[in-house]
Amino acid sequence: MSEPQLPAVEVEGLRREFKTKGPPVVALDGVSMKVRQGEVFGVLGPNGAGKTTTIRILSTLLLPTGGWARVMGFDVAKEPEKVRKVINMASGAEKAGYDFISAKRNLWFFSQLYGIPGDVADRRIGELSERLGLTKYLDRKFYALSTGYRQRATIARAFVNDPKVVFLDEPTIGLDVMTARSIRDFLIEEARKNGRTIILASHNMAEVEAICDRVAIVDKGKILTEGSPEDLKRSLGAPALVMEVSPPQAGFEMLAKVPGVKGFTSSIEEERGLSTVQAVVDSDAAARAAEDAVRKAGLKVVASWRKQATLEEVFVALVGRGFKEREEQDVV
Amino acid sequence: MKARALVRLWSIFGEPLWVFVGMGFPVLSSLAFSLLYYSIGAAGYIGFAVLGGVMVSFWGNVLWSMASQFNWDKQEGLFEIYLTSPASISAILIGMSVGGIIGTVPSAVIVTVLGWALFHPAVNASWGGVALTFGLTLASLYAMGMVLSSLYLTYGREAESMNEVLQEPVSMLSGLYFPVLGGSSPFPLALQAVASLIPLTIGMDALRKTLFYGDSVAQVWPDMAALAVMAVVLLILSSYALKFLENLGRKEGTIAVRIR
Ligand SMILES: Nc1ncnc2c1ncn2[C@@H]1O[C@H](COP(=O)(O)OP(=O)(O)OP(=O)(O)O)[C@@H](O)[C@H]1O
Ligand SMILES: [Mg+2]
Repeated sequence: MSEPQLPAVEVEGLRREFKTKGPPVVALDGVSMKVRQGEVFGVLGPNGAGKTTTIRILSTLLLPTGGWARVMGFDVAKEPEKVRKVINMASGAEKAGYDFISAKRNLWFFSQLYGIPGDVADRRIGELSERLGLTKYLDRKFYALSTGYRQRATIARAFVNDPKVVFLDEPTIGLDVMTARSIRDFLIEEARKNGRTIILASHNMAEVEAICDRVAIVDKGKILTEGSPEDLKRSLGAPALVMEVSPPQAGFEMLAKVPGVKGFTSSIEEERGLSTVQAVVDSDAAARAAEDAVRKAGLKVVASWRKQATLEEVFVALVGRGFKEREEQDVV
Repeated sequence: MKARALVRLWSIFGEPLWVFVGMGFPVLSSLAFSLLYYSIGAAGYIGFAVLGGVMVSFWGNVLWSMASQFNWDKQEGLFEIYLTSPASISAILIGMSVGGIIGTVPSAVIVTVLGWALFHPAVNASWGGVALTFGLTLASLYAMGMVLSSLYLTYGREAESMNEVLQEPVSMLSGLYFPVLGGSSPFPLALQAVASLIPLTIGMDALRKTLFYGDSVAQVWPDMAALAVMAVVLLILSSYALKFLENLGRKEGTIAVRIR
């Protein structure tokens, strides 16, 4: 083994409160993590979990109200100038650029914020555009680019200064499957081949599962668990149980009392006249007990099968509810 | 810094229509004042009006493009990109100023050419003095724009309306079209004192002296010194204000204004 390397990102007891008219909002409530150089690290969580707040603090746009964070050894609160030299960031929600100048000139302008010599910048913009499939559109004015190409340009911008650490906040939000995939492929390559560290905030399970070496699952400002997607799924013990139940209904509270059932989600399928229940179980026995409990409640289990666990089920197991339910709660 | 200037130019000249729209206002107001002076026989003032038209182009650029551009950047998420980069915000603003100045030149040239062609104002210039005062006036004017920009960052939309409030009184006070300092001023002394706090006022006064009365650098040096001091003070002020407001924004969480 080589000597221990400086962590790309190190966070300890990070806290952030926001003042509001009512009681203060606690966006981060003691987050600690360590990301190795060259790692793709996912911060996964539902709306309002604190993902964007984490990214903002790490990219020096926001000060923590407690704890500390270092990027490549530099304190984000005390040495923002040093941090800024080695990072870049992009947000899928923004796709920022100057509308009335071309994509190429936009990229060139942003490269100049880092004082990159003109010829180096040109070469890098050429390479990045080629790899992101942007070359044909480089001379288009920024406003004339479709969402997908604007986002490709935004991703290119986030790498134009050859950063050590890149922070991405929902980089593929609102993109079609093909565009999202080519951006993901690009990100994987950047980490594997160029050794860049990428911190990715997302609520897209599939995305995180596809490209992250390690994931922290966050909710309500806390890290619930952390590990590789494989480890997290394996930690559940047994494949998830899926049941189709009739007549359709919403409440499956009886499952909460079954030993070995760590959490569940359910949805009603009107047209098929049944409910689908997914339960995270820790053993085959627990799966059988769950089915029995549903039958005892006077419902019919039309079909049931076991399914390889996904990250979503890991989340369900941790908080006893799914992302969807959480989102609905937030709307109320 | 150089890059910011270029972006400014690319976006101005990338859309030629804007250049014309931007030129319309100063040309028209300058012509209106010239006609007025012409008709009341105040021929001596015509040159002032043409000069005013030139300077109002720059003043408008400071107020409307430069100061509010940063607010726009903030809303578009561009400001975050500036902040997370190692570039200093002051340098970006200076780049913006240079771009703004160059971008305003066509409009200024048109006013000059039209004004001279139509009214042949009598000029008695010490060109060295004109060039120096012109440079210093622009420097202090854009330094003021930088201070305004930093205000925009904190006050956003409120600042936008402040702009509208500022535009007219400042144009009046600063004597864009007629002298406001000294004996021939229509304003009482107290108001003259207030007016001279605006760099444009002193700049206009000095420009008139050098351009129409042939005053040399030696004669207008107090004005020039005042302009230089103002430029430096405003520059320093804006750089402190920007740093202060950046830290405030990081503390309060107001750097992003997006509402999700
Ligand atoms: N500037 C702010 N002022 C007040 N509250 C804020 C501010 N920024 C974030 N919050 C609050 O902090 C919490 C965490 O927000 P954050 O944006 O980090 O969540 P997120 O995980 O990125 O969610 P999403 O998936 O919706 O983007 C939320 O409750 C949010 O309302
Ligand atoms: Mg977010």
